[in-house]
Amino acid sequence: MSHAPNAYVPFELHGQELRDAVVRYASNPIYLDNEEWQNNDNPYRRQLRPQVLPHLDYDAVPGREDILDYSSLAVQRVLTSVYEADLVFLPKSGLKDRKWEDFQQFYSPSNRALGEAIRPALEKYAFGFLDDEVEISGKWTKESFHAYIESLGADDPAEASLTEKAILSSTDRERAARMWLIQFAPDFLSEASPMIRNVLGHYGATQSEWFKIIIDEYGYGVHDTKHSRLFERTLESAGLASDIHRYWQYYLNSSLLMNNYFHYLGKNHELFFRYVGALYYTEATLVDFCRRAASVLTSVFGDKADVEYFTEHVHIDQHHGRMALEKLIDPLIEEHGEHIIPEIVRGIEEYRVIQAVSDDDFATQIAWMDKGPEFKKLHAPVWAAIESGKVTAPVADIVEPYGELSNTHCHDGDELCHIVSGTMKFVSGFDSHQILEAGEGTVIQKNRLHGAIIESEECVYQIHSVGDYKKCLS
Amino acid sequence: MLVLTFAATGRGNCVEVDGTPYVYVRTASGSFVMRADCPHRGGPLHLAAEGPEGKSLICPWHERRTATVRMRQRIPAVRTGRTVRAVLPHPPQAEVSHQHRPLSPALAC
Ligand code: FES
Repeated sequence: MSHAPNAYVPFELHGQELRDAVVRYASNPIYLDNEEWQNNDNPYRRQLRPQVLPHLDYDAVPGREDILDYSSLAVQRVLTSVYEADLVFLPKSGLKDRKWEDFQQFYSPSNRALGEAIRPALEKYAFGFLDDEVEISGKWTKESFHAYIESLGADDPAEASLTEKAILSSTDRERAARMWLIQFAPDFLSEASPMIRNVLGHYGATQSEWFKIIIDEYGYGVHDTKHSRLFERTLESAGLASDIHRYWQYYLNSSLLMNNYFHYLGKNHELFFRYVGALYYTEATLVDFCRRAASVLTSVFGDKADVEYFTEHVHIDQHHGRMALEKLIDPLIEEHGEHIIPEIVRGIEEYRVIQAVSDDDFATQIAWMDKGPEFKKLHAPVWAAIESGKVTAPVADIVEPYGELSNTHCHDGDELCHIVSGTMKFVSGFDSHQILEAGEGTVIQKNRLHGAIIESEECVYQIHSVGDYKKCLS
Repeated sequence: MLVLTFAATGRGNCVEVDGTPYVYVRTASGSFVMRADCPHRGGPLHLAAEGPEGKSLICPWHERRTATVRMRQRIPAVRTGRTVRAVLPHPPQAEVSHQHRPLSPALAC
């Protein structure tokens, strides 16, 4: 008797089913809004703003021009949580009280399974823009690949980045530098975790080369020299706390994008060769980056800045780029053939794209924070245009009680916040705010991270979605 | 080998190396970097029409056909955003100039 085999149906979620699954995942109590701006030594609490998630479309993959919109920020926050369910985090002050419950909740089979179910669709949403941004063609050989690598000049000193310029020319350099260090926390405090995903398995001599890089990152098993430990000291020397995700609400969209990208490559082993490329490029550019980072921090904070994290990389990573090329890439091409080269090139180029997005996002955020008083002043002319009927824009009327905290988010166009009565503390980044009283307000710039807290018994305010505030000024 | 970067479209979309022009094209069957001059008599291949089923490009001068599948294999390149980086079969000291070449609809899909 013969049995017809069942038809294989690949797993896929989209449309309403996907939306429902995202909302279900994010409705876990550990992901609800916080009443404070910071998490307090609780690595399991991550504000995902589940109340907004039913209104987003997870199927329409955004292009690069829309990659900083709110839905991408929401997806990056969710993905960070999903990936990190594979990592072990324990609070510095111990698993007491609510943290024990949160620990069990975060690592529960339910949280893991719900996260895994939505991960492939959200990865497509988060990283799909790279399919359009990077395209490889032609027949690549070892020789042409080496010529290409040479042409990148990855280990040459680079020009000052937008980020560097933004910090050094900021109206509040210390605040800008702290905001910058906060952006690295998701990556550096669990440093090399995405990479370790490629240590498992059995794939020949290159596996041991990969492992050696990790040994360096882990300080050879001496805890005080583990790179994450060095970074904790950097944070503390700049007056910041070093517990995991304390500053969750201040992570920029692109900082999460960058960190998640490596988890995405490490979690999905079909992208192994892309990871090899991205790893080469990070390692090759790291020495120059770290040298500059140490100099920026020292110039901002003076000698009190503990920059060993960065200077250590300058010493240790000196040869990592070359090592990645000679000990990983070349042998892999030798063993598996030249058809893996396009994937390696793709990893390099994708990383470069994300780096550019991130550099621009951060510099723009610092300008947004620095110009807080100017955006507040812009309320008057924009409000006048609305009041006179010259501009009509969709409006939301909102009433909130004392202490209500709008967890950080961003909008897909410019908005005008207008206070009808009461007082609002409008927050535009770490340690950056404007107080808005009745009759006042602020322009909220497209894609800029912000939040707010009500400081009066009640606050009545309006959000006018003007799209482009400059059009209200002419 | 010589690695050059140039624009994927618009101004500067062609590099000429020691007299040989290269452009980045988008055809119905994929994007790639190719020589803009026809191997027959140097006709303007960047103005080529598409052959049957999109499998070849037809030079406007003497209608010689070249299979796209072969052309796609020739030059290793990566386009990132609007910039192309191509590895070209020329010595590093070759003479290089950036120019503009219009593309036919078949090459600008
Ligand atoms: S020059 Fe192209 S076919 Fe003759």
